[in-house]
Amino acid sequence: MKMFSVSHKTAFVVDHCPYMAESSRQQVECDVLTKSRAQGVIPLAPVSKSLWTCAVECSMEYCRILYDVYPTNKLVNYIVSDSEFHILNSWRQEDQSTHELMAALAAVGPPNPREDPECCSILHGLVAAVESLCKITELQHEKRTALMDTAERVANRGRIICLTNAKSDTHVRMLEDCIQETILEQNKLAAGSDRLMAIQQCELVLVHIYPQGEDTLVSDRPKKEISPLLTSEVHSVRAGRHLATKLNILVQQHFDLASTTITNIPMKEEQHANTSANYDVELLHHRDAHLEFFKSGDLHMAGSTSRDSGLKETVTLKWCTPRTNSIELHYCTGAYRISPTDVNSRPSSCLTNFLLNGRSVLLEQPRKSGSKVISHMLSSHGGEIFLHVLNSTRSTLEDPPSISEGCGGRVTDYRITDFGEFMRENRLMPVSESAHDPSGKLPAERAKAQLERHTRYWPMIISQTTIFNMQAVVPLANLIVKETLTEEDVLTCQKTVYNLVDMERKNDPLPISTVGSRGKGPKRDEQYRIMWNELETLVKTHAGATDRHQRVLDCIVACRSKPPEEEERKKRGRKREDKEDRTEKNGSKDTDDKSWQDSDRLKGMLDKEEQESEVIKDSPDSPEPLNKKPRLSTDEVQPPERAKGPVSLLSLWTNRIAAANSRKHQEFAGRINSVNNKAELYQHLKDENGMEVHENGKASR
Amino acid sequence: MPTVVLMDVSLSMTRPVSLDGSEDFQRKNLAVHGLTMLFEHMAANYRLEFTSLVAFSSLWELLVPFTRDYNALQEALSNLEDYDKTCVESALHGVSNIVQQEWGSSCPCQVVLVTDGCLGIGKGSLRHSFHTLKQRGDDKKFPLPFPFPAKLFIMCVANAEELNMTDAMENLEELLHLNGGEGQIFTMDGPLCLKSVQTMFGKLIDQAYSPFHAVLHCGNLSSDVQVFPRPEPVVVDEEVEPMPRTVNTEVDEVGTGATDELEEEASASQMAGKSPNFCVLLHGSLKVEGMVALVQLGPDWYGMLYSQADSKKKSNLMMSLFEPGPEPLPWLGRISHLGPISEAAENPYGEDDSKSPFPVQPQIKRSYAQNVTVWIKASGLQTDVQKILRNARKLPDKTQTFYKELNRLRKAALAFGFWELLKGVADLLERECTLLPDSAHPDAAFQLSHAAQQLKLASTGDSQYAAFDHNIVPMHTDFSS
Repeated sequence: MKMFSVSHKTAFVVDHCPYMAESSRQQVECDVLTKSRAQGVIPLAPVSKSLWTCAVECSMEYCRILYDVYPTNKLVNYIVSDSEFHILNSWRQEDQSTHELMAALAAVGPPNPREDPECCSILHGLVAAVESLCKITELQHEKRTALMDTAERVANRGRIICLTNAKSDTHVRMLEDCIQETILEQNKLAAGSDRLMAIQQCELVLVHIYPQGEDTLVSDRPKKEISPLLTSEVHSVRAGRHLATKLNILVQQHFDLASTTITNIPMKEEQHANTSANYDVELLHHRDAHLEFFKSGDLHMAGSTSRDSGLKETVTLKWCTPRTNSIELHYCTGAYRISPTDVNSRPSSCLTNFLLNGRSVLLEQPRKSGSKVISHMLSSHGGEIFLHVLNSTRSTLEDPPSISEGCGGRVTDYRITDFGEFMRENRLMPVSESAHDPSGKLPAERAKAQLERHTRYWPMIISQTTIFNMQAVVPLANLIVKETLTEEDVLTCQKTVYNLVDMERKNDPLPISTVGSRGKGPKRDEQYRIMWNELETLVKTHAGATDRHQRVLDCIVACRSKPPEEEERKKRGRKREDKEDRTEKNGSKDTDDKSWQDSDRLKGMLDKEEQESEVIKDSPDSPEPLNKKPRLSTDEVQPPERAKGPVSLLSLWTNRIAAANSRKHQEFAGRINSVNNKAELYQHLKDENGMEVHENGKASR
Repeated sequence: MPTVVLMDVSLSMTRPVSLDGSEDFQRKNLAVHGLTMLFEHMAANYRLEFTSLVAFSSLWELLVPFTRDYNALQEALSNLEDYDKTCVESALHGVSNIVQQEWGSSCPCQVVLVTDGCLGIGKGSLRHSFHTLKQRGDDKKFPLPFPFPAKLFIMCVANAEELNMTDAMENLEELLHLNGGEGQIFTMDGPLCLKSVQTMFGKLIDQAYSPFHAVLHCGNLSSDVQVFPRPEPVVVDEEVEPMPRTVNTEVDEVGTGATDELEEEASASQMAGKSPNFCVLLHGSLKVEGMVALVQLGPDWYGMLYSQADSKKKSNLMMSLFEPGPEPLPWLGRISHLGPISEAAENPYGEDDSKSPFPVQPQIKRSYAQNVTVWIKASGLQTDVQKILRNARKLPDKTQTFYKELNRLRKAALAFGFWELLKGVADLLERECTLLPDSAHPDAAFQLSHAAQQLKLASTGDSQYAAFDHNIVPMHTDFSS
């Protein structure tokens, strides 16, 4: 259905003239006497509805179904006509509810039979309906403003449903002519207004209502074109049950609805709680939920039956008692809102309450062959019940390959738990439309901005990170990603840093990954250097946000143990070394199993770090004493490469290749177990020069 | 999306292609060469798609049912035999049946018809089919348009000039027209040789079998992905914005929500080492946490990512596309109005995940979730009146329920202009009052006559008593003193 089809706007025009106060002559016994009380009691005379009451309750039923299936953008304007017109609501979304309409109808009351019939006419209401159809709706306005250049694409069509008691076919023709004239007049007016739109298409559905037992004075007539702007159809219906059926069929035709009857619903008997009988419940919904049946021609096999007028068809689906309440994922190709045809009958309300309480029901399509196929599911979301269409044929998605067969599928140390935590922190919630953010950003934009902040430094695998494996870093890591920090937050971060300094002083072990590196991995002071570098990397990506973020970085830079090369530089003051350090670090990073990208990033980071440490070095705030201990240990165990001085390109290359090769084979079990072997290897390294590390390793095999 | 290859094996396909003898091929050989190329391409880039092979002449035969085994297709191709004349209509009927039996009628398919443009003679020829198109009953309808969404690609082992000499091109265009214009006719340029058949199938591959590559972003984390089946553009409401919506190749992850539903069209997205990949991390965490991630595919177009496991304990990252629009799932509200939980004073999921801000409740409840009054059927009215009477007999214990039901009936009667009912129920209550047993609580009589009087006042339409929002309140009685 197009967005602005005739179904976007429906004007109900209901006759409120004195003759509508006439009885429909359909009597309802509402005094049902039980046998025990029947003696001596005179039962109340049956009541009967007026034509007006019949018209109103059937139109309300039409609206109820419409609002259930289309809660928005299918609008009703309700107009009552007697000696003048009364517009009971507007096109606005907040006016679209049966409760609003019932309240307005109560204020109007039944027609006054003593009013002068000469002054009263349905015409007042019909003219008002045409005027109303020219009025722009919220959706039309929104789309027109959104599509400035293509605003003319927003169409203005509408339908008028007129419930009246016409006098004759001539009378009906007079009404049609009058509507046609009014449309032409109103379209002229609309051309000159911003809030009005000319009517491009109007569909008049005239329902002539007459009391039971009388002959109709108006003949039925299928839809015919009065003019390019107006079509008209006439339905002549007896008040009561027939009128209700007619409007039920009309609402289905007007809004592309179809009917499904759920059969075999087991229900406890009210009187005998231990027995249960099977009931049927009919639901209306968008007809696309039956698309598969229509197309495959399975409609008849699906148990379609014609009832009443022969116009109304329903597809029968069988209730499957839910075995478990577990959440099963089904290939679902669509979900459609439903409305029960007989909303307050006991079977209907039992079914809907069952669903509203969170249960789901699978529905089975009876087939001629006797095979069972589950084709639909009923389930509610947020107080609304949906008919879900399930894929009952073979799926093209069957047998997908495992994700482990793809890129990165062989990596085993993903930070799955950490990312789970990350996802929990980045969960979404509905934010009310009225809550305005000063930044002018929509909530979803703010959620994306948060994702950006939280992922500025986020290593994907455990062996790629130290700080995220340390409980001690958690308070800082959680706070630093925030958009703004409080003084208290800064304090917490600083405490975290002091705590790390303390750990370093006590020489606490760090959870440094040894994956990919041979032996015990880096020495303790090297471990701390890696940790501090990583922490600095994390905080640096946020330092630009606010002064407080910057202060956290300053604290780290001031407190961290200085890289050993800097200490040396302090001593020797040789500038030449800068270059070598950098190249060496690149080499050593590789053996730490970092990706190229990472080593590049670290390189840049270290460059900056060096510049900054120059600044800090002379700062009086720099807590010198803390550096003493690491420096001592640095002197004791120097990384092998360092001892030799300048490194040739060849040695860098061989180191890299050797490191890469070493990752491709499993370590000899013997070497892992043997402590002596290892010690000897390193001893060997120290005796000769560190540069031949791997060549020696190979030779010893 | 699945493909049916419909191969013409009529005698005309055995015509030699060149007379100078440099290449001693039949048209059939060229067709097989082109299809081999297509199958090789699919085996390399589309190995998750299903393909079937149907051969046809005056009869049709399913040579290979839908499969991912391209070797089987290739083998069948090399064992083709030659038959009699071309009969396109019956072959298309065959395709229609094969697809519907396998995939139903909502799964989109591609049909590749390989022919030489000789569309048969006499009865059963395409020309004959079109001549009789208008004189058919419902039981003998032409198979196009297919009941499922389908694109028809016609590969002609012939060049355009040749086809234009007869009415072949015209008929093929009519075929495409009957398929709602969905598809394309490919012909060969220049002489019929291996090279020109390669060029023709190359065009088909570019048009219909190019792999869909995209980048999945989550903040600064990202991953290259390939999506199977290829998401096709969607045209929504041809009235206001007739622009087809295509999936942006830069896919943005909006955030994650703990939803447990799978909705709308599902398309498998399979992410193709050893270096860490964000998709694997995301998949692992989604699986462990039982969560789904929301993805943005374009302006106002969203989908979700989740871990999908089959029975063999293999699982992969799946992407389901929602219908384009700002609010694809009503119970999530507008997607643009989903914000980070860090903005809330209190975690809406609770500290221990015991609650959820979803589903979003609609502002107005649906009719079946409210206690609406419908008296279309007499039984509805009788039930409501009996409910009041039942409670009336249990006064004063049931005072609250009695007035609640009474007010519900009163409201509906006023709205429907059914004043006669108000008088009737008032009479019933007065009668109940006279029938009260001696043992009844004195309050019962007071409440019954009070309620009856109020209903009678309402039935006069007097604005003081007949206001819709007015409720009859129990009469204040005090029997303690």
